[in-house]
Amino acid sequence: MTLPVPLLAALAGLAMAASQWLIWAYAPVEATLGPVQKIFYIHLPLAWWALLSFGVTFVASVLYLLKKNIRFDLLAGAAAEIGVLFSGLALVTGSIWGRVSWNVWWTWDPRLTTTLVMWFIYAAYLLVRGLEMPRERKATVAAVLGVVAFLDVPLVFWSARLWRSVHPAVFASKEGGLTGEMATTVIACVAAWFFVWICLLLTRRRQLLQQERLLALQQTLSARN
Amino acid sequence: MTHAPRQLAAARGLGKFYGPRLVFKDVQFTLTAGQCLLLAGPNGAGKSTLLKVLAGLIPADAGTCEVQVGHDRLGFLGHVTCIYPQLSGLENLRFWAKVHGLPLDDDALRQRLAAVHLADAADDRAGTYSRGMAQRLNLARVFLNAPDLLLLDEPGTGLDAASSALLTKTIRQARERGAGVIWISHHLERDLPEADAVLALSGRGAPAYHGPASGYTPEACTC
Amino acid sequence: MLRAALIIAHKDLRLLVGRSSGLVQAVLLGLVLLFLFSLSQAPGQRLPAQSAAAVFWMASLFCEILVVNALFFVEESQGARLALTLSPMPLQAIWLGKALASLVLLLLAQCLFLPASVAFLGQSFSGDVWPALAMVLLADWGLVALGALLGALSQGQAARESLLSVVLFPLLLPLLLAAVRGMTQALGGPPEPLENWFMTAGAFDLMFTAAALFLFPYVYGGDA
Repeated sequence: MTLPVPLLAALAGLAMAASQWLIWAYAPVEATLGPVQKIFYIHLPLAWWALLSFGVTFVASVLYLLKKNIRFDLLAGAAAEIGVLFSGLALVTGSIWGRVSWNVWWTWDPRLTTTLVMWFIYAAYLLVRGLEMPRERKATVAAVLGVVAFLDVPLVFWSARLWRSVHPAVFASKEGGLTGEMATTVIACVAAWFFVWICLLLTRRRQLLQQERLLALQQTLSARN
Repeated sequence: MTHAPRQLAAARGLGKFYGPRLVFKDVQFTLTAGQCLLLAGPNGAGKSTLLKVLAGLIPADAGTCEVQVGHDRLGFLGHVTCIYPQLSGLENLRFWAKVHGLPLDDDALRQRLAAVHLADAADDRAGTYSRGMAQRLNLARVFLNAPDLLLLDEPGTGLDAASSALLTKTIRQARERGAGVIWISHHLERDLPEADAVLALSGRGAPAYHGPASGYTPEACTC
Repeated sequence: MLRAALIIAHKDLRLLVGRSSGLVQAVLLGLVLLFLFSLSQAPGQRLPAQSAAAVFWMASLFCEILVVNALFFVEESQGARLALTLSPMPLQAIWLGKALASLVLLLLAQCLFLPASVAFLGQSFSGDVWPALAMVLLADWGLVALGALLGALSQGQAARESLLSVVLFPLLLPLLLAAVRGMTQALGGPPEPLENWFMTAGAFDLMFTAAALFLFPYVYGGDA
């Protein structure tokens, strides 16, 4: 599979530039929060694409278990790394948002909690990937964890929502109050971050593949000597 | 005996990679009842890997490998002793008999222990056994279900002379009964006379030698 | 399969209860934790029911980590895992056996943790006890099901206890929330309907029991 990464990277650059213009020039300044509200345009895409990364890890893990092809393992690893990076950034930006909007750095908001717990789970997943183990065993163990971790996500979200209140809360939509221009900007930002995300994913996957090949070459050479 | 002996295992064009590194390829052999195939080759040539593929522990990457013996009639004897150190020798055997669903009472199990010279140590914790005793207990475990196919991964490592002799004797008896043996050995000069055929892995792809044991010269490989 | 699982569980219980310090260590760690948390209450005060319930489950979690590691270590020390994977019994039976054995051990430990919570954290069972008991059983099953699946994961690793904790604790969060809520009721916390929490714990148990049956052979079988 050779998707044109340079082309996607160029698109990502253009889309990001355009989204910046939308954020600062097109979208109005929010009445109560002021300019700080604009962090939301970064926060939301990061959170979305982080979740999608974990979805990619899940699918790739299932495929690895079924097909035993190391390429799926590398894809799962690359996606998890980006997922942890994105969800980490989403947590930081969300925390800043929370400080301004709700006057606390941290709260048991279901989405926030789910993101944090996912960050913990996938950080542990990356930890397991870094262990010293036979190659195939490591890939299998990581794949099992990749499956279990994603199955847990809906349960974490559901239970975190229950935890907050005695009665199950009606799904309160945070972005429900967005005006037309703000909504357009958010959608544009999500699209722009998609290109960044896919570039990172493909590049990282290729890096891991090349690292694997180099390692194999090294082993073959040392076996001959 | 007019009918052909039963075929136990066959490999055709078997290949295995570790990641992208080729461990072996084009491995081809058949094993019939009573035969002994010796696996030779330098360290890291993939002998243990081949044995694990045959046991069904790891998949092959190329070729086919047919083992006509189910897990209930397969014996795998490696250099690890597979014992529970906190259980006595008898308790160890009792557990494995239950796992295999064998209706053996304690008297029968004690007889098995006596056959591997462990009658006096039957009620001692296996953790107090010497290496030789532990491996003899392992031998008794492997032979609990009278296996039809024996996979041996250097079982003689670190054994004293008496235990080694017992091991060789037990394997010989199993072959007379009709069991096939695939054997990785580091004592080629001693174990070569036991073998019918030799398969020497090279570690560089195709095997270096495959043929009758009489035509094999161990000098070709120093291990 | 159930027969095979019982053979495994019987052997494991025998090894852990009578022949090694595995269980004692796990129980002691839980008791020490409960005792140390009594530091968080000022003299004359008692810990709120929810805090006490959370501490009780923390103790149970750490206990479970040690139990699971001990359970998988018995096969590891002399390579008995190899013989077990090559035996005719299905690999899932090993998972079920380990899960059952650790369920028994965890319940045993919790029988000691409960009076310890009463003593060290100043609690009393003034609330509704039966739903809480059902919740304990549900939560314990989820705990041991996932623990027995992932316990095989840290085999052969240094610092296996901490590795397993880091992997297992965040995954267990939904179950933990349900369990804490259930226990809070028994300790006289404000009454609330528990149906949703029972559903959460039940869904968790079902999902990870199914996942373990499918995934355990991958973790435990094969090359290690």
